[in-house]
Amino acid sequence: MKRLRTVLFVTGLVICIVSFGFAFSEASAGPGQRVEAAVQSFAPSQVEDSVCLACHNKDGFSVKLDSGETLSLTINTDAYKQSTHGSNDVTCVTCHSDIDGFPHPKRTTETLRDVKLKYYTSCQQCHAKQFTQTLDSVHQKSLAAGNKNAAVCADCHNPHTQKKIIDDLGTLLPYARLQIPETCAKCHSAIYYTYKESVHGKALTEGNPDVPTCIDCHGVHNIQDPTTATFRNSTPYLCAKCHTNDALMYKYGLSTQVLNTYVADFHGTTVVLFDKTFPDQPTNKPVCTDCHGFHDVARVDDPKKGLSVRENLLARCQKCHPDATANFPDSWLSHYIPSPDKYPMVYYINLFYKFFIPAVLIPMLILVVMDFGRMMINRFRKPKPVEVKKHPVKTKKSKPADEESRHD
Amino acid sequence: MSGKRTNPSQTARFAQERLFLRFTLRQRWEHAILLLSGLVLLLTGLPQKYREFSLSQDLLSTPDRVNLIRQIHHIAAIILALEVVYHIVRIIVLLVRRKLPGDLLPTWQDVRDAGQMLRYLLFLRKDKPKFGRYNFEQKVTYWFVFFSIAIMGISGFIIWFPVQFTQFLPGGVVPASKLAHSTESMVLAIFIIIWHVYHVHIERMNLSMFTGRVSEDEMREFHAKEYDRLVAGETSSSAQTGEEK
Repeated sequence: MKRLRTVLFVTGLVICIVSFGFAFSEASAGPGQRVEAAVQSFAPSQVEDSVCLACHNKDGFSVKLDSGETLSLTINTDAYKQSTHGSNDVTCVTCHSDIDGFPHPKRTTETLRDVKLKYYTSCQQCHAKQFTQTLDSVHQKSLAAGNKNAAVCADCHNPHTQKKIIDDLGTLLPYARLQIPETCAKCHSAIYYTYKESVHGKALTEGNPDVPTCIDCHGVHNIQDPTTATFRNSTPYLCAKCHTNDALMYKYGLSTQVLNTYVADFHGTTVVLFDKTFPDQPTNKPVCTDCHGFHDVARVDDPKKGLSVRENLLARCQKCHPDATANFPDSWLSHYIPSPDKYPMVYYINLFYKFFIPAVLIPMLILVVMDFGRMMINRFRKPKPVEVKKHPVKTKKSKPADEESRHD
Repeated sequence: MSGKRTNPSQTARFAQERLFLRFTLRQRWEHAILLLSGLVLLLTGLPQKYREFSLSQDLLSTPDRVNLIRQIHHIAAIILALEVVYHIVRIIVLLVRRKLPGDLLPTWQDVRDAGQMLRYLLFLRKDKPKFGRYNFEQKVTYWFVFFSIAIMGISGFIIWFPVQFTQFLPGGVVPASKLAHSTESMVLAIFIIIWHVYHVHIERMNLSMFTGRVSEDEMREFHAKEYDRLVAGETSSSAQTGEEK
C-alpha cells in the first residue's frame, strides 16, 4: 500500500510539473517577444519588409545625428515597391545587414554623408561587376584621397526609388538616357548647364536619345579622369564612335570622314601615333575637342561658335598659331576630302601625280630594263670579236674599232 | 650639273692612259653635298610620310623625337637650299661672263638621240647613237632632279612656315604643298633608283662624279662627239696643248 502511494505521488508530481511547464511556457509567449525571438534566430535577410515598414513608413520619422543633421528614416512604401529593388523582392536587411534586431544597435556615424558611405559597399553583394568598375573610377580615387563628397553608388542610384534602367539585354532604356545629365548635374551643375546649351545637350533635352550623354564619353562606373593626356589622346576615337557610324550620321546629314581626314592631316597624324605608342604623353597638337569644344560643342554653322564661320575658325587657329591671318584657316582641310569644289589645288595636284607617276616612271623603268637586256645580249654575242683579236693591234687607236665591233 | 666645258688645257694626260676632266672640283663638291643632304632628307622624311610602319612609329613616338627628326630634316634642307642658291648664282655669274657652256640645255638632237636609242634597244639599229658631252639620259637626270628640288624646296618651306606664307598666299597652298612635297619626294627617290643608279652603277661603273675624270676609252665610247671635238680642237691648236698635267 505504502509503495503504491509513493508511485502515485511521483507520477502526479511529474504530471503537475510538466503541465505547469507547458502552461507557463505558453503564457510567456507574448506578441512582442515573439518578433524579437524570430529576429534573433533567423538570418537577417529573412526579415520581412513589413516588419521594418511597420515603423519606417511613418512620415517625419527621423533621427538627429551628432553633427546636428537630421537623418530621415521614412521610406515611401509605394515608391519602394515600384523600384527595381522593391519589385524584385530585395528586402531592407539585404543592404541594411548591420541592423540585427530591435532595438537597433547604436549608430557610430556622425554625419549624413557618413551614413551613405557606410552603406555603399553593400551594393557589391549583387552588383559585383559594377562595383568593381567603380573601384577604378575617378570618384573612388577622390574618395580614397579623402574627399568624402566623391560620388558613391547611392549618389547616382537612390536604392529606395531606382527604377529599372536597362532592358533584358543590358542596354540602357531610352528614358534612362534622357535622365543621365540630371543625375551628374547633382554635383557637376556648371557643366550640366553648358552641356544643355550644346548641340548634343539641346537634342537630348528635346527627347532625342541619339546624342551622347555624359556617360557616352566619360564611361559609367569606371569614369576616368578626363584631364589626363591619355584621355586627351584618345579623344579622336571617342568622338569617332558615333561620328563614323554611317547610319547614325546619315540621319543628320553629317560626314563620317571626320576621323580619317583628321588622321591624314597635320594634327591628327601625330596625335594618333602618340596614342598608339605612348598614350600618356602630352602633345600640343589639337584633338577634336580643342577646336569643337566638348561640353559646349556647337553646330558647325552656329553663328557664335560654329567652325564653318570663318572668324570662329580663325579664332581657334590663333589659339595655337597666334600670328595666323585670314588666309591661314584654309591650310586645314576642314575634314573635307579634296575635290574640284573643295580644295581644288590639292585635288588637281593629286590628279597630276596619279598620271605623272605611271606616265613617266614606268616608261623609264621599261627603258632601263630594255637597256640592261640589250647589254646582256651583247655580252653573249661576244665571241665574234675573237677573230679580230687574232690580229691584235696594240696601239690605242685601234681600240675604238674593237669597242664598236662589240655592238655588231 | 651645268658648268664649265672641259677645256683641252685642263685635260689630264698620264704616261699610258689619257684622262679627260669631266667634272671640276666645285661640281664634285656640289654633287657630294646634294647626295648627302638629299639622303638625310630622304631618311628623315620617310618616317614622317609613312607613319603606319612600326619603325616610323618608334622613331616618332614622342614629341622630342618628332622634333629631333624634324630638326635634322630642316638642317639638311637649309644645306641643300644653300647649295641650290650657290648653283643658281654660279649659273648667273657664268651667264653674265658669257662662259656658261649650255651643254645641259635640252635640244632637238636629244629627242633624235632618244629615238635612235629606242631603235637600238628594239634591235632596229646596230649602234648606240653618238653623244656629246652630256647625253639625253644625263640631261633628263639633271633636269628631273632640278625641277624636283624646286618643287620640294618651295613646298617644303611653305609647310615649314605656313603662318608666314599664308599672309600673302591663299591657305590652300599649304595642304597642296604638303601633298606635292611628299609625293614629289617619292617620285624623285624612285627616279634616282631606277634611272640614275642604273646608268652610273649597273650599266657601267661611272665614278667620274667623284674622281672628276673619264678615260679616253670611255670618252670615245660614251661621248664620241665631245671626244671628236676635243681631239679636233687639240690638233688645230696643237701649240696650246703644251700644258699637260
